[in-house]
Parts: sequence; C-alpha cells; structure tokens
Amino acid sequence: MNNHGPKAKSHSGEAEGPNGDWSWVLVGALFISTGLVFGLMRIMGIFFVEFVNYFEESSQSISWITSISLATQQFFSPVATALCNAYETRAVVMTGGFLSGLGLIAASQATCLVHLYLSMGVITGLGWALVFTPMMATVVANISQRRALALGLGLSSIGIFSFTLSPLFQLLVEMYTWRGALLIMGGLSLNIMVCGALIRPQWCSKALKKVDSKPRSSCATVLRRVSSYLELPVLLERPYLTYTATITIFNAGYFVPYVHLVALSRMTGFSEYQAAFIMSATGVTDILGRVTTGWFSDLGYFRTIHLLSLWVVLAGLFIILLPVSSLTGSYAALMAISLLYGFCSGALSSLVFAVMPMIVGVERVMGALGLLQLIESGAGLLGAPLSGLLKDMTGNYTVSFIVAGSFLIVGTLIMTTLPHYFSRTDPPPPHRVPHDVKDRGVHLELEHINNSPSDTSPKGAQ
Amino acid sequence: MKLLWALSALLLSCWRVNASTAPNIITEPSEVTNQTSAVLSCNLTDSSLPIKGSYWVLNGKTIEKSESSDSAPFTSLSLDKINHHSAGKYECVFQTEPEVKQMIEVKILPHVSAHKHSEHGNENDVVVLVCDSHGYPLPTDWSWFKEENDVKMPISNGTGDKYEIKSTPNKTSLTIIDLKIEKDAGDYFCSGTNELGTKTDKVHLRVRSRLAALWPFLGIVAEVIILVAIIFIYEKRRKPDEITDDDDSGSAPLKSNSTTNHKDKNVRQRNSN
Repeated sequence: MNNHGPKAKSHSGEAEGPNGDWSWVLVGALFISTGLVFGLMRIMGIFFVEFVNYFEESSQSISWITSISLATQQFFSPVATALCNAYETRAVVMTGGFLSGLGLIAASQATCLVHLYLSMGVITGLGWALVFTPMMATVVANISQRRALALGLGLSSIGIFSFTLSPLFQLLVEMYTWRGALLIMGGLSLNIMVCGALIRPQWCSKALKKVDSKPRSSCATVLRRVSSYLELPVLLERPYLTYTATITIFNAGYFVPYVHLVALSRMTGFSEYQAAFIMSATGVTDILGRVTTGWFSDLGYFRTIHLLSLWVVLAGLFIILLPVSSLTGSYAALMAISLLYGFCSGALSSLVFAVMPMIVGVERVMGALGLLQLIESGAGLLGAPLSGLLKDMTGNYTVSFIVAGSFLIVGTLIMTTLPHYFSRTDPPPPHRVPHDVKDRGVHLELEHINNSPSDTSPKGAQ
Repeated sequence: MKLLWALSALLLSCWRVNASTAPNIITEPSEVTNQTSAVLSCNLTDSSLPIKGSYWVLNGKTIEKSESSDSAPFTSLSLDKINHHSAGKYECVFQTEPEVKQMIEVKILPHVSAHKHSEHGNENDVVVLVCDSHGYPLPTDWSWFKEENDVKMPISNGTGDKYEIKSTPNKTSLTIIDLKIEKDAGDYFCSGTNELGTKTDKVHLRVRSRLAALWPFLGIVAEVIILVAIIFIYEKRRKPDEITDDDDSGSAPLKSNSTTNHKDKNVRQRNSN
C-alpha cells in the first residue's frame, strides 16, 4: 500500500522531469493514431461512390458503414478503458491497431454489403475504440504541464490527415481500384501499432495497484473489480454527471454544420466547388483552433473551463449566424462565419478532454473518458438526423441550425452549475475514497502532492 | 370599259390578298455547313402586315439579346464562332399576326469526346468506355477501333461476346468483359460520323492486376514490423532498470527521489500560505 505514494509521484515526475521529452513522443503517437482513426473515418466518404456503383445499393445503406464504425468506436470505449485499467495500455492499443487494420484488409475482400458492415464497420470500429480513448486518456493523465497544447497538437491531426489523405486516396482508388485502396488503408492503420508500442508500460497505474488485492475470486469481488475498471462509481458523482450531460448536449449540435454546411451553401445558390471550398477552409481553421487554444490555455491567464465555455458559446452563436449570413446571399459573409465557426469548434473539441482531469482526477481519467464517449455517442447519433428532420419539416436549414446552436448555449448554461465554476483558480482535483483504512494516510500525502496552489484539500470525491 | 376596270380591280385585289396571305422570308444563306463563322439574315418580303419586332431562336430556345422591336422586315444574327455549342437549327421569327418564321440549319462536324481519356479496369473484370457527342447534326454512325501495332482494328458488336457496343445519337459505349492485361490494355478510338464527316477521340485503357496493390501493402506491413521491433529493442537495451522497477518490490530507489521532491513541494506550499 505504501507504493501508492511514490508510484503516483513517479508519473508526474516522468512528465515534468528529465523524461519530459518522452511525453512529446507520446503526443506524436497521439497525433498519428488519432489521425489514423478519425482522419480515415472522414475519408471513408471517398469509397462511397465506388460502393454504390459496385454493390448497386442505395446511398443510405452505404452510409450505414460509417455510422456503424463510429457507433462501435464510441460504444466500446468504456470496454477499452476498462481493459486498460485491467491490463497494459500498450497491449490494448496495439491490439486496437491490429484490429482496425484487419477490418480494412477484410473489407478489401468483401463480396457483399454485409461483409462491409462487419469488417469496415464492426471490426475496424472496435479497433478504433481500443485505440482512441486509451491514447487520449494516457496523454491527459501523463502530461500535466502543457496538457491543453499537447491535446490540441494531438487532435489537430484529424484535420491534417483528412486534408492530405483525401486526394491521395482518390488517386489510390483510381490506380488500384477500391479493393487495393482499402488494402493499403488497412496497412496504414497497422501503423497505430507503432504508436501503441511507444506507450511505456509503467504509465498505467491501476493495473499495478490492483496486484495487491486479495486473491478471493468471489462474485462480489469480481464485480467490484469490473466496476472499478469501468469506473462506474464516477457515474454517481454530480460533477461528472453534469459535465457528461453538458458534453452530450454539445455533441447534439456542434457538428451539425459539418454535415449540412455544403447543402446549406448549395441551397443558397453557390456552386459545388464553392461549397466544397468552404468546407476545406473550415477544416483548416479547425486545425488552427485546436492548436492555438491549446497554447493559449496553457499560458494560464484563464481557467481551461472558462475558455471552454467561451468557445462553446461562440460556436453556438456562429452556428446560429450561419443560416442568417446565407440569407444575405453573400459568399464572403458565409465564408467568414464558417471560418470563425471552424476555429471555435476545433478549439472546444480539444479543450473538452483537457477539462476532464479537473472533474474526476488524473487517476480516473481513463475510465471517465470511456464512459463519456459512450454517453455522448447517443447525442451524436441523434444530432444530425434531427437537424435533417427539421429541415424536411420546415423546408430550409434555418431552424435546424438555430436549434443546433442553441444546444451549445444550453449546454454551457448547464456547465455553469459545476462546482467551483465561478472561482478564479482551478479547484483541487478529487480523489477516490479509499477502500482500506490503511490508504487514508497515503491519501493525505497524495492530496498534498497533487494540489494546485489552493490551500483547501477536500478528502474524497466532491 | 367600265367592266374592264372593275375586272382588273378585282384581279388586283385578288392578287393583293394572295400576296398578303403568303409572306415570304428569304434567308441568306439558306444553310451553313462547316464554317467557322457566319452571318444569318432573314428578309421578309411580300407582306403588308405590321411587324412589331423580330427575334431568333436556337433549337427551340429564344436567343437573348436577339430581340429587336425594329419594324423593319429585315433581321440578321452574326455567329462569330461556330462550334458544337452554337451549331443547330436557327429560326428567325417576325412578330406579325400570326408570327412567321423560317429556319436556317448551321451544321458542323460532330464534336466527339470521351468521358474519361484514361480508364482503368481490373483483370478478369468488366470495363465500359463511353464517348459522347454534341453539336448538330448528331452522328448517325458510331464505330470503335483498337490500336494494335499502329493499325486501327475495327471492333464489331458481339465479337466472341467480348465486346458490346451500344449507341445512341449522342452517346456510345463499348463494354469489354474479361479483361486481360496483355491483350486488352492500350488505346481505343471512338468515331462518330454525320453527313458532313467523321471525328474521333481516344481512350487509353489500363488493366490492373488484382495483386497490384499487394506490393505497397506488404511494404507498409514490413515498415510497421520493423518500427515496432526497433521500439521494443530500444526499450530493452537502453533502460533495463526501469523495467525491473515496474515490480512493486523495486520501487525503493524511486521512493527516495519522490520523497525529496515531496518535501520541496510541501515547502513551496507552506511558503505560499
């Protein structure tokens, strides 16, 4: 039990001390793996036309492939994080990389649509689940100095990868047909295993802590262990629930423009190329937003959570302004608002993860992020179809964009109910109530170590 | 005498009526064939009906800026560049009661273009090469050729079930089944023929073997294996101490470091009180 103190200390020591350089290697690994997960997900659209022609299916059934992969990735996130808590993160991420590559390789041999659903949808989605949240949580838990910048840099790869890989894969489909291109895509996905290999085994603290638990394997103990791996107790805490509710509502609205912006521009009367150019430009400001806000947040002038609220409110405003600017019919106005929206949405998406340690504490970040992904996936699944439904009902996109923007603003209002929201400095992160009495002494030590400059140190969860 | 006058007056009025019920438009030229530019003109003769204006129509659609409210029985339209966009059936229309019009046909060689000048097909699979044509008049005959040893060999429909040609006046498609890399890759030509002549376009067909993508894939897999091996070997070589420290028993050396840091942090905190 005495190992808790030094073990926890060695983690922050590794990030800030002489091994700080290796933390940046970890950021690089996050960069590549996130790009290979979400970047590849975004360019799945290139295969869309090929599949529709080859399998002679409707576009709706083909678009299920992307939906299944995204839903699988988000649904199995808690399982992935539980596995990380139980075993080594490195093994989980490497398995995830292998599975995602395997799914795409299997997809290249598909002979019917169901094969694609299973391989490109389920297997690859499962692989992605085993990769994304564990990598995110590892970076969040192990980098405390410049966390927001690290996250911003790591997540910027999504935009960069989809931007550069898009024409490349168009070329690959031309040269090798879609089967060959999928095979190569699978090979590229295997590179995630390299990223996973870069995770040092000792960075996963929970597995080592659990070694000393009693050898009794009764049902209750097993259940308790499973629930602690899944971090289920965190669901009972008000701050976590509030934050999760906020992020879920964000998810319902924030990427509606990505889905419907092209259609909105075409409806206003702009050509296909002009509409596509708006999307590309928005993608560029998205990348800029992620990195800039990471850098700015780490400067420390404002609390991360205040910055997050600011970006969310701005993003909501710009989403509402999008149909308004399209009503004026001016291309410049629509482009300007889209660029601003892109910046804000990129900014908020990287800060969402950076705030989590403040809510649940660094140790539980892994499981907490997994559960968050699962819960927010529901809103994500509902958000785009809801706005589509509103558009069908009213005939234009004004109402659906206004609803999406208001989701963001309502979410921010809910976020203000978080404890210590209005205080100037970050409150100390909460700690788990220890099961054993022995741990309490060590926990006092822990609180002293992990505290920010504030004096009060509440015991246990808030 | 008076009877003669009445008769001639009657005859004149009859002629007049005949002339006014059959206005005549003289077109200049009557037809345009294979010219790069032309001036079309219409002259309305033998008409006493009032003319409110005139305009030109191309293939059933009114040409903008050709409308004039000039009541002169003469109108002209100049075509600076005759290409497949501007060829077609032109009509000059005089706005009289009722309207009268006359047609001038502007004909050019067919404008033949392939959908894609470079096509890719898979081995043992099917590929469709498409050419279409714009302009006027549309081709009445389409034919396909394959270039072998600098000689254009004609392809006829249903040659051993390998080729199938489907043609409509504005589009033709050549379907090739069971592609073979050696035999079927190369240049294909589609020719469209109308009453003025023939025009041809070229399509280059590449046949990819099924295993073509395998080589880059294997290269990437090899790269992944090498990188992972390097990372593992680097770890085992450079820092064997840290790996033994993973065991709970080996945390003793780390403990001393952390306690000194711990003390520093506590000192810092106390100072800030």
